Amino acid sequence: MRISRGALLVLIAMSVPIVIELRTVASFVGIEVPLSVTLALSLLVVVALVFWATLPPKQEPESTG
Amino acid sequence: MSAYIDDFPEEAAVIRAAFWSSFVALAIGAFFGLIQTLHRTDIVRIFDSTDYYTILTAHGVFMVITFTIFFLVGVFTWAVTTSLDRGVESLRFTWSWYLLMSLGTVFTAIPILAGFVDSIDMSADVLFTFYAPLQAHPLFYIGLTMFVIGTWLAGADWFRSWWAWKSENPSERIPLPTFMVLTTMIMWYIATLGIAVSILAFLLPWSLGLVETVNPLLTRTLFWYFGHPVVYFWLMPAYLMWYTLLPKFAGGRLFSDPLARVVFVLFLLLSTPVGIHHQYLDPGISEGFKFIAMTNTMFLLLPSLLTAFTVVASIEHGARQRGGEGYFAWLGALPWREPAFTGMALAGLMFAAGGFSGMINAGMNINYLIHNTLWVPGHFHLTVGTAVALTFMAGAYWLMPQVTGKPLASKPIALFQTVLWFVGMTFMSNAMHRAGLLGIPRRTAEPQYEGFEFQAAVGSVAELDAQVAIGGTLLFVSAVLFLWNMLITSFNRPTETLPSNVIPEPLSGSDDSPAVLDNLKLWTLIAIVLVVLAYSLPLASIVDRGGLFGPGGDAFPVRLSPTLVAQLLVDTVQEGLR
Repeated sequence: MRISRGALLVLIAMSVPIVIELRTVASFVGIEVPLSVTLALSLLVVVALVFWATLPPKQEPESTG
Repeated sequence: MSAYIDDFPEEAAVIRAAFWSSFVALAIGAFFGLIQTLHRTDIVRIFDSTDYYTILTAHGVFMVITFTIFFLVGVFTWAVTTSLDRGVESLRFTWSWYLLMSLGTVFTAIPILAGFVDSIDMSADVLFTFYAPLQAHPLFYIGLTMFVIGTWLAGADWFRSWWAWKSENPSERIPLPTFMVLTTMIMWYIATLGIAVSILAFLLPWSLGLVETVNPLLTRTLFWYFGHPVVYFWLMPAYLMWYTLLPKFAGGRLFSDPLARVVFVLFLLLSTPVGIHHQYLDPGISEGFKFIAMTNTMFLLLPSLLTAFTVVASIEHGARQRGGEGYFAWLGALPWREPAFTGMALAGLMFAAGGFSGMINAGMNINYLIHNTLWVPGHFHLTVGTAVALTFMAGAYWLMPQVTGKPLASKPIALFQTVLWFVGMTFMSNAMHRAGLLGIPRRTAEPQYEGFEFQAAVGSVAELDAQVAIGGTLLFVSAVLFLWNMLITSFNRPTETLPSNVIPEPLSGSDDSPAVLDNLKLWTLIAIVLVVLAYSLPLASIVDRGGLFGPGGDAFPVRLSPTLVAQLLVDTVQEGLR
């Protein structure tokens, strides 16, 4: 995993206010996001975060010095 | 390197008792919170709407008076004894203030809960704010008075510890956690004078029938004289833990002792002369006084911003000690698996959001937009409901093992609980803020009206209601998980492997802070002068216009006497004949 499970849980939690507030912010510029789209977007964000977090960690380039 | 209970077993018993008093209040308050949320949103109505104020009073009083302040006295006792490295001067005195607070709580709770039982002629449906014309049974005011006197004695206990320590260490600076406790208590002594006068001179005699009427605006103003600094009384133990424990959990040390002292001095000076900003819509106070209160309030942003800077810098230092690198990648090095750290960090994050909505409340003109709407509960559920409550729960995950000697029952459930609180509060407070902007009122059992519909700017009011109900339910589940974890922890077997009760020395220590910061007499004097400047003219004007006990008006709830019923019937008939 790239991050700990605890950090993943916190990241998912932090995505909740962002997705919720994004809907309000989008309305300021005239974009009405339906509830169903918000729910689908939330699910997509969670899946993307889990996918990214469970990828193997990046390999550090070996020192040539 | 030992746990708190190893060094202070007797003080640990007092702290445990205070924490459990706090948790019982949280359980009752959370239950009424859930009932209220589901009632308002018309999801489930198990109580009659006429009992809504009883539910609201119970939720408010148990949450923001009992839960918060019992936890505060526990944390402050821990902070003073730990940082002075000495026990309390008299354990009997310490238990006596705890018992007085407990008895006061019982006395206050009886008339509140009696409001649910029609056969008992006793009620206190006066909400947490309890000013006239709402009138409670005398027992409510007597209980509150005992509770507050208990906190005064607790403060005296901590001052005694400091004076005893000072006589043995005359040239030493006040240790930072003790400094935080002492400045907070000075602010509390000044602030509680307002409700002491309000209760003892007006509300209690009025409730006992010794005086016929009171001046409602005067009792409102005296309440808000206390009502804003009490917010900082809830917040200061949370700040204390952010300054002392959060850097430790992050693996580092506090960034700056001097900045922390400046912050607490500023809170002492500025917390009280601002209460009139809760009364922007009160007609009996002139606009000029309100403007002064607004200006003072805006200055209060400074210590909060200083705190954000100092605490985040300390956390970053901790993360870099743990190998964190880069501009933002260091965030990944923080101990997110630790519920005490994660809970406090999330609480701090939500406090920032609460600060922004608080600026709207504080702005005199824009306040008119959201005054008495659901925006306001949305705001204070971010501040006291999360910055304070979540920090306390997260702190309990570290402090309870320290004062019981027993390991936390379940760390994964604790982590899940803190995150669940964050998510639940996001749902609930977001919807409350948005509903407030539509003009949906607060303190209303059924904000659904025939022939009128609130128009939502985004989505629908039904969506907002659903969001509030889902958020409130998640918060209740989170509170249950917390209480269950605490209960199981109390039955755990003691362990020898608890983390040590050492607060790391700040990077920039007390030697770097100017000595004048420790001059508590000076700051107390300035705080009193600021209060006199902010309040003497408005209070004189209110008394001049309405008198100390007038202009009067009927108390609520109104007692229906036969003559009153007859008069009402005559009035109604006469009205119908016109």
